[in-house]
Amino acid sequence: MRLSAPVKAAAQRLTLPFLIFVSALLAILGKADVMLFDRARVVMADAVSPIVEAVGRPIATISEGIAKLEDMSTVYSQNQELREENDRLLQWQETARRLDTENAQLRDLLRFAPQGAVSSVAAQVIADSGGAFLRNVMVNVGARDGVARGQPAMTGEGLVGRVVEVGDRTARVLLLTDINSHIPVTIEGSHERAVLDGDNADQPRLVYIQPKAELTTGERIVTSGSGGAFPPGLPVGVIASVNGEIRVEPYADLARLETLRIVNFGLDGMLSSSAVPSAKPLRGIRVPASDLSH
Amino acid sequence: MVRHVWQRDLGTATRLVPGISTLLFAVLSLLPFHIPGFGSIAPSFALMAVYHWTIYRPDLLPLFVVFAIGVLLDLLNGSPYVGLSALVLLLARTAVLAQRRLLIGQPFALLWLGFFLVAAGSFFLEWAFVSIMHVTLLEPRLFIFQTLITAACFPIGSYLLALAHRAVPVAGV
Repeated sequence: MRLSAPVKAAAQRLTLPFLIFVSALLAILGKADVMLFDRARVVMADAVSPIVEAVGRPIATISEGIAKLEDMSTVYSQNQELREENDRLLQWQETARRLDTENAQLRDLLRFAPQGAVSSVAAQVIADSGGAFLRNVMVNVGARDGVARGQPAMTGEGLVGRVVEVGDRTARVLLLTDINSHIPVTIEGSHERAVLDGDNADQPRLVYIQPKAELTTGERIVTSGSGGAFPPGLPVGVIASVNGEIRVEPYADLARLETLRIVNFGLDGMLSSSAVPSAKPLRGIRVPASDLSH
Repeated sequence: MVRHVWQRDLGTATRLVPGISTLLFAVLSLLPFHIPGFGSIAPSFALMAVYHWTIYRPDLLPLFVVFAIGVLLDLLNGSPYVGLSALVLLLARTAVLAQRRLLIGQPFALLWLGFFLVAAGSFFLEWAFVSIMHVTLLEPRLFIFQTLITAACFPIGSYLLALAHRAVPVAGV
C-alpha cells in the first residue's frame, strides 16, 4: 500500500510520541505484575543466555586473571592467614563432631522427625542486572535442573537471595539487597523477629523490629522461617550499624557472585504460583539438612 | 557492473551496523564484571551507542530499533519496569537529535561533556521514575555513581563505535 506524502509525514511525526507513550505505559503497567512480562522475561533470558555466556567467557577469563595476579602478590600473608584459619577450623571440626553425636543421641531420645531431604544445585552467574535500582543476577540453571520459584540461593558464606523467575535453562535470583526483597529474619542471640528490607544499598535494613529490642553490632542474623518461604536458621549476615537505621552486612559477597547454590528444602512457600513449575527435587547433590542450616 | 552490485549488497548489510552495535552494547552491560570496588553497577553502554549513532547517522538507527532494544534490555535486566529503558533511550535520542548540529565535528572533549549531560539526564529520569513508583525518595548516590561510571567508560565505548563506524557507508550512498 502506498501512502500519500502528507499521510506519510504525519505518521513519521507521530512515531516518536507514540513510542514514548507506549514505553511509559509499559513501564507503569509492568509494576502491576502483568503475567505477560514474566513470561517474556523468561523466554528472552532463555533465548539470549547462550550468547551472554559465550560473550561472557573471555571477560570471566580476564577477571580470573586479575584475581590471580592479586592473589600472587599476597601469597605469603595469605598462606599465613590460612594456616591460622586451618587451626581454628580443626578445633571447630572437633566441636562439630562432638555436637553431631550429641545431636543424634538427643534426637533419638526425642524421636525427632527429621526434615525432608534437601537437595541443591550449583549455578553459575551469567548476567548481572547492572542497574542502579536493580539487584539481581541471572544463573545458568532452570526448570530442567529442578529449580523453582521461591527457592533460596546461597553461597558457602550465607544467603544471597531467592529465585524469582524460572526459565527452562536460566533462572533469576533477586538479591537480598534489592528494593523488592523482604526477608523474615531472627536475631540469633535475642530471638527477636524482624524483616530484612533491601533498598539497593550494599547493606540491607532491618525493619519491623520491637522498639525495646536492644541490638549490638556483630549480632548474627538468620532466616526466621516465617511465611514458609525459607527454612529457619539460614545464615544471612551480621548487624553492621545500629545508629539510626539498623543495617546488616550480608555474609555473602554480593558484589562478586560467581557460583551459587540453589537449594530445595521441599518447602512450598507463599511465593509459589500456578504459573511456575512447582518444586521438585533438584538434580544436584543431595546433602543432609544439618549441613545447610547451621 | 558485477562489482557495482556487490558493493550495493554490502552497503545494505553495513547499514545494519548501528542497530547491531547498539544491541551488542546493550548485552555488554549485562555481563558480570567482577572488578574489585566496581560493585554490581555497570555502565550503560547502550546509551553510548544511541548517542554516537544519533549524532552521526540517525537515519540508520530508527526510533523503532531504539524502542525494541530498550524493551529487550529491560527484559534481560529483570527490571520490574519493562519499557523504562526504552523511554530513557528514546528521550536521549530526541535530545541529542535536537542538538546534533552543535555536536558534529566538535573535539572529543566536548562530545564527552555532551554525553555526560545526556547520561546525567537519563539516570535522573530513572531515579525519578523508580522513586515515584516506590513512593519514596531513593538513595540518589547509586544513580550518581552510575552516571560517573558510564561517563568514565565513554572513551572506550566511543573508540569501539568509531571502529564499527568505519564499516558504515557514507550518508547518501
